[in-house]
Order: sequence, then structure tokens, then C-alpha cells
Amino acid sequence: MSKKRKISLSEEELVLALRNREKIAIEALYDMYSSSLYGVISRIIIDTATAEDVLQETFVKIWHSFSSYSTEKGRLFTWMVNIARNLAIDKIRSKDFKNQNKNQELENNVTFIDEQKNTVYKPELLGIKELVATLKPEQKSILDLVYFKGYTHVEAADELGVPLGTIKTRLRMAIQQLRKHFN
Amino acid sequence: MEDIKAYIESGILELYVLGDISPEEKLQVETMAAKHPAIKAELDEIERSMELYAEHNAVEPAENLRSRVLNSILTNFGDDRNFDTKTEPVKNNIIALPAPKTSSFYKYAFAACLALLIASGIALMNLYSKLQESNTQLAALQIDKQHFANRVNFVEGELGILRDTSFKFLKLNGTPHAPAGAAVTIAWSKDKHKVMVDMASVKMPVNDKAHQYQLWAIVAGKPVDLGVFDANPDSTDMREMKTIAALKTDAFAVTLEPRGGSINPTMDQMMVLGKF
Repeated sequence: MSKKRKISLSEEELVLALRNREKIAIEALYDMYSSSLYGVISRIIIDTATAEDVLQETFVKIWHSFSSYSTEKGRLFTWMVNIARNLAIDKIRSKDFKNQNKNQELENNVTFIDEQKNTVYKPELLGIKELVATLKPEQKSILDLVYFKGYTHVEAADELGVPLGTIKTRLRMAIQQLRKHFN
Repeated sequence: MEDIKAYIESGILELYVLGDISPEEKLQVETMAAKHPAIKAELDEIERSMELYAEHNAVEPAENLRSRVLNSILTNFGDDRNFDTKTEPVKNNIIALPAPKTSSFYKYAFAACLALLIASGIALMNLYSKLQESNTQLAALQIDKQHFANRVNFVEGELGILRDTSFKFLKLNGTPHAPAGAAVTIAWSKDKHKVMVDMASVKMPVNDKAHQYQLWAIVAGKPVDLGVFDANPDSTDMREMKTIAALKTDAFAVTLEPRGGSINPTMDQMMVLGKF
């Protein structure tokens, strides 16, 4: 597709360009991270239009509050994904969004629930398949709850009916597995 | 080292990367990472893994979203904060209602001023016409006063003559030429060389426009011109005639002469004659 035309910079270059408020920086930022961030947002918010709004808000917020990011605190993506996740969670907890959902047709809700329970495979998520083998189901479910759904580990423990210590251990094990896999 | 390993294995670094951590714990992790390179390295590894995991779970957003997002940032239209700052002055503009009040106040004030101006103009005109009237009356009164003053002076002058013992009165009686009863009374003061004709006592036919009566003094047999006068029944004053130098006269006479008088009297026109 348009992969070749996409702008890609090293993280250092990108941070510098963002600090200097360069136009190319925001373009590169979008090309490099929009799909990863949208992956998180679209798992929290099922409605495409709302998810797109939140993605836009995320980039606007990144652009305007970039001065609060420092490389010493960690990687750029970690900072950005926290912004995206928080905006998405704020959105689904907002009054507007709840009211909107109450008005949804019953048929639509069936699809929603199906999607929420991950019973539908999205073709763009095919890359995960190989990871399924790597991660044990209980590791994946807890990782996805916290990373993609914005659950706290306390909420995840409640949801899954597992002790808090176990949650922490499973999270760590899951990430260890990922590290092995990617290395 | 054991502490650091335990810290790493506690799972807090994972929660840090997942954003599932309190602000205090967050600060603590950052401090530890800054102090211990091992923790920093571990943190970096976790972050990379999660970034890759996110990449594997990436969902490509709709293609038109790219220009929408970029435009909203580059033109700042998507930034609500920009709209906030712009709505402020608009609110202020709407509040600015008292302006018409002040303008209507000035309107009324102007109308009041105009009415006052017209009223005072009319009053001034009235006052001016009254002043004119008063001035006319004053002028008339002054003329009257002058007239009376003159009259008083004149009468006092006449009274002076009557009081003056140096004046001698002489009645000139009619000659055969004159109508019956013709007479003129004169007063003569030798000391003051003055001769007056008492106009009130002139009983003579009214002279026409071409003629005047002329008074003569006969001094040493020769007539001396003492001036002319008109016989006017309305005049009642004492008319002063030319001065007379002579101390002794034979007689006084009045003749009818052409207007302006003659050098020598026309004897056949002698109307009255009197001797002391």
C-alpha cells in the first residue's frame, strides 16, 4: 500500500523534531505510531467513529503536551500509549458515551458483545496468531485486559477471580515470554 | 544486587510500563531507574516488548484519518483550547449593553439644551422689544424734559426782565395807517442796551409771507433799525431785538417792510408809534 511513502525517523530524531515543533515530526509520528495506538484505542472503543475521534485527540494531546515528556522517563511509545489509553477510557466512562450506548439497537449490541469477547477475528490482527502459541491463554487474557482494556491489575483480579499476587506474576511471566519471543 | 533483583522481580516495572501504577510508585520507579542501570535496562526491555506487542496488535486506521488528524494539529482547529480563548472576547462584546443608554441620555440632554436655547431666545426677543420701547419712552421723556427745562429757562428769563427794574415798558399805539386798536408793547433797558418785544401784546394784522414788521428807534431824529418780527397770535414770548447803544431815544416805531427788513423805514407804512 502506501508503506513506502510513510515517514520514519529514529526515536532520537523524532523527539528532537517534536521539541522543535516541526511539521515533519507530527507526520512521522502519525506514520510510525498511529496503527499501534489505534490498535489499543479500537480495542477499548468498538465504535469506529468514536475510536477515530479519540485517535485524533490523542495526537493533538501529544503535540500540545509534548514538553512534559522526557527521554529519561522511558520510551516515547510508552508515554504515548498511556495518553491514548487514558483518553479512550475517559471517553467510554463519559456521560455522553454511556447515553449513546443506551440508545444502541439490540442487534448492534449482540455484535458489540461478540467483539468485546474477542470471538470475532479481525483480519488486521492476524499477526497475533503466532503469539498465541507463545503466550498461555491465562497470560494473554490478563495482559490484554490491562494493556488493551485499561483495567488495573486489581480490577483484572476481580474480573478473572484470581488473587492479586497471581495477577502480578502472570503479567510478569507474559511479558517475559514476549521478550523471549521478540528476541 | 539482591535488592535490585527482587525489585525487578516484584513486577512493579511491568505495572509501570502498563500505566497501572500510582503517582508515588511511578516516581519511585523513575528514581530507582535513574540510580540503577540494571533497572533502567530492564525497564527498557519491558517497554520494547510492549511496544512490539502493540505493533503486533496494530490496527491500521482509515486512510483519510491521517490528513484529518494532521490538519487538526497543524491548523489547530482540533484544539478546543484555542476556541476557549476566542469565545472570551465575544462574551464581553455581548455584555456591552449599557451603551445605548448613554447615547439616549445624550439625545435627551441635547433636546433639553435645544428647548432651553429656543425658550431663552424667545425671552431675549421679548426683553429686547421691551427695552426698545423703554428706550423710546426714555428718549421722549428726555425730549420733554429738555423742552420743559428750556421753557423754564425761558420763562425765568422773561421773569428776570419783569423783575429787572432797569427795563421800562412802553406801549406803542396805532397810527392812522393801522387798524383800530393796534398796539405793541416793548421793554427797553438803557443800562443793558436791550430792547424786547412782548409778543403776547402784539395786536397787529397778521403779516403776509412777503412782509415783516420792523422795529425802529428814533434817536436824534434818525431811525435806528432794531430788527424784524412776525405778528403771530400764537407766540407769547418776549422777543429780544437788536441791541441799542443810545441812552436816549425820541420814540419807538414799527413799520411794515418787505421781508428781511429795510435800511430806512417806509414812513407811510408806520403802524404804531410810542414815546417815553
